[in-house]
Amino acid sequence: MSAPSAPGVETAAIVMRGITKRFPGVVALEDVTLEVRRGELHAICGENGAGKSTLMKILSGVYLPDEGRLEIDGAAAHFSGTRDAERAGIAIIHQELALVEDLPVAANVFLGRERRTRLGFVDDAGMQAECRRLLESLECQVPPNARTGSLRVGDQQLVEIAKALSLDARIVVMDEPTSALTEAESARLERTIARLRQRGTTILYISHKMDEVFRLADRITVLRDGRHVRTVDRAATNPREVTGWMVGRDIAGHQFHGSRSRGPKLLEVRDLTLPWPEHPRGYRLADVSLDLHAGEILGVAGLMGAGRTELLETVFGASEPTWSGQILLDGRPVRFSHPAQACAAGIAMVTEDRKRLGLFSDLDVAANVSICSLRDVVRGGLLNRPREEALVAAPIRDTGVKTPGPHAAITGLSGGNQQKCIIGRWLLTRPRILLLDDPTRGIDVGAKAELYQLIDRLCREGLGVILTSSELPELLTLADRIVVLAEGRVTAEFPRAEATEQRIMEAATAAGSDRVHAPT
Amino acid sequence: MPSPNASARPSFLLRQGEWALLLAILVAVVATALVDANHSYWFRPLESLRDIARNTALLGIFALGATVVIIAGGIDLSAGSMIALSGTVCATTMLALAPAEMMGFKPVGPLAVALGCGASLLVGFLVGTLHTWLITAIRLPPFIATLATLVGLRSFARAICESTTAAFTPTKSALINVSDPFFKTIRDNVSIPVAVFAVLALVTWVILTRTVLGRHIHALGGNEQAARLAGIRTDNVKWFAYCFGAMTAALAGLFYVANESVAAPVNQGRGHELNAIAAAVVGGCSLSGGVGTVPGTVLGAIFLRVVIDAVSKIIKTGADVYEGLIVGIVVVIAVTFSQLGQMAKGGRRLLPGALGLCAIPTLALLCGAIVSMTTTARAGAAAGAAAFLMLAAVRAWESRARAA
Repeated sequence: MSAPSAPGVETAAIVMRGITKRFPGVVALEDVTLEVRRGELHAICGENGAGKSTLMKILSGVYLPDEGRLEIDGAAAHFSGTRDAERAGIAIIHQELALVEDLPVAANVFLGRERRTRLGFVDDAGMQAECRRLLESLECQVPPNARTGSLRVGDQQLVEIAKALSLDARIVVMDEPTSALTEAESARLERTIARLRQRGTTILYISHKMDEVFRLADRITVLRDGRHVRTVDRAATNPREVTGWMVGRDIAGHQFHGSRSRGPKLLEVRDLTLPWPEHPRGYRLADVSLDLHAGEILGVAGLMGAGRTELLETVFGASEPTWSGQILLDGRPVRFSHPAQACAAGIAMVTEDRKRLGLFSDLDVAANVSICSLRDVVRGGLLNRPREEALVAAPIRDTGVKTPGPHAAITGLSGGNQQKCIIGRWLLTRPRILLLDDPTRGIDVGAKAELYQLIDRLCREGLGVILTSSELPELLTLADRIVVLAEGRVTAEFPRAEATEQRIMEAATAAGSDRVHAPT
Repeated sequence: MPSPNASARPSFLLRQGEWALLLAILVAVVATALVDANHSYWFRPLESLRDIARNTALLGIFALGATVVIIAGGIDLSAGSMIALSGTVCATTMLALAPAEMMGFKPVGPLAVALGCGASLLVGFLVGTLHTWLITAIRLPPFIATLATLVGLRSFARAICESTTAAFTPTKSALINVSDPFFKTIRDNVSIPVAVFAVLALVTWVILTRTVLGRHIHALGGNEQAARLAGIRTDNVKWFAYCFGAMTAALAGLFYVANESVAAPVNQGRGHELNAIAAAVVGGCSLSGGVGTVPGTVLGAIFLRVVIDAVSKIIKTGADVYEGLIVGIVVVIAVTFSQLGQMAKGGRRLLPGALGLCAIPTLALLCGAIVSMTTTARAGAAAGAAAFLMLAAVRAWESRARAA
């Protein structure tokens, strides 16, 4: 379908040279150089956190690079905002769509560039007519005056593309565009892409779905850990090789598993299905089954949106209580409608987004650690501060939190120390099951190693741990068994000895577009 | 606000902003004593103190309720109407129990008084429960839920007043006189509302700083999702907060009835909810929740009343006309002060672009108008011109600083 355009000697559409971008504590991109030819479809592949989205945000003016140069059509470009990038003919279709849901479709397409009549009023009729023309060219039957929020995700995406067309964008960036689409919608998107290419549009396509990448791309660039691994012609490689480049790195650090002894079965999940009514897929989780024993770490792998967080939240009683299936704790069925019940039953959960879901930034370190076990520090109905400080001293010491003292502001601690405080908070509740949702995200390497040792030690002390991670090496380092989720379903389960990054990645991307249909 | 110094221990009793507030109160008192032509602070200090104390206690009682709700991350706009409803419920209960005595301005007996006051507090509990139900079960935003009761409860109180008076007295009436000696004693002894306010402040302070519930209130207001995921029954914490808010307003309503010897649902407590919120905000509460203290709110309430009193002493006539204006200005200035550090650090401009240009004459006009109405037209013109020149200078300085 997509004939590779002849790679001529003409100037490249985009040249990014030596791009480095640092965030506090993390180097998101390091010395990345990328050249995109005019009119080609260039796929960017990489694991979660490889730096794909950061690179695209630099290209579209959201971030400024710390180092490096950017050239568009041979001329140096300095974007200090998305407007500058738009003016240079670059449009980005974000993974999380950036539309104003309460406005009609046409208003979104022309947002910030509203057309006016001669009298100076907003030219709704003109914009709607133009919008209709654009949408029809994309096979989209949505009326331009429909409320954008009422559209399906696939149609919303086409609205974003219509916006890009109305901007006359010569370069379109698509950030994992099919992650929320049905099969039919994906096929329509591919036809749209073909049409864009006929117009000579250069397309940057971010995805980790190998089938799509190999169907659409002319060339493929692989990023890993913020570095450029290689750029190859599609014809010169195969999906297995690309997946290998995406994950292929030395697994640093210790191997903890092996000598742990597995205890009795603590938790059993049977055919867990969590509906998702407003989504074309229809479910967040479908028929998920797994079990957890004392003294073992069960890893849950999966790409973003695969349902890892939803799985842990459902077990913890924090999701909508609409799920079906069975959760058995010590062989007895349980159905928690509030996290408080799960806590009482001996389950603890360290949430994924520390800042949004874990920390109380107005409270000090001691109060953040003691929040789940305040009953232990009450005397005569009142909180006893000395007892509170004595209580939190143990977990602060055991988890190795570096803090000036229990009175310190939690916001003054590093991400790793904040995370240890939250783990310490839950250890005080003396749980038997610990759910860790991507516990090392945004934490520097040294703190990660300390957390690994902590998790291993807890497990040896008899805790059952379910660990999700967006980083495969982390799961391979820690987990005894690994369950792989793809689009809400379990696609594989490996004992530690049989798991490799390659096999996990294949299972995590296995679902692809052919598994998207069949809503329950 | 979290302390900028990570290792700082919270200072004893008062925080930095609260010391500043205490200083501002002293400055306002001294300034009034000096500027006031009658020098009433010198010659009749007890009378002035009694005035301020009574007004502060009445405001402070339900400002404490507002503080708890705000720290819990909510807002209660209905306090003023709750005051009216509470007074009405108390008076109608007594009227129903002892119609002859009520109409004859005679004592109604301790049982009727106790039942009347008890009914008011019970209604406070019911209104708090209604708020929590609307917010947690129907999932209305707190602003909407309490806006509905702000308008609804006052009219409900008027309806109760009219139908009860129609049933128990010869004519229906929009107000009920309350002349039982219990209420007269409260009216004549300023120490009673002050003592109640002091005890309530102490209790609230203990709850917020020394109990599990208080910690949960701070956690809920600071990060509701994290609180829920930490196993806190956030709905129950909200239930307490809104009931506390409504019941303190109900308690204040009883004092208003005593003070004015009448339950008048048409205008009793009208607009007072905003004074309570203002006292809390001036005292350091953040409307985004999780932050605030009882000493702060107490000082905030004192400061508001002292400034209002100062203006009434200095201007003499019609101080109530200016009350809203004063509260507005005090809130803006207090919150601006707490953000000055941030503004300087962030390089934010006070008067940016076209908005800044239009703001200069707006502020100058406002300043001139206030001064001319409170003193003379000539002084007003001078003040307006001075403000204009000052703001223009700020603008010019900011533009140059940016260019440089």
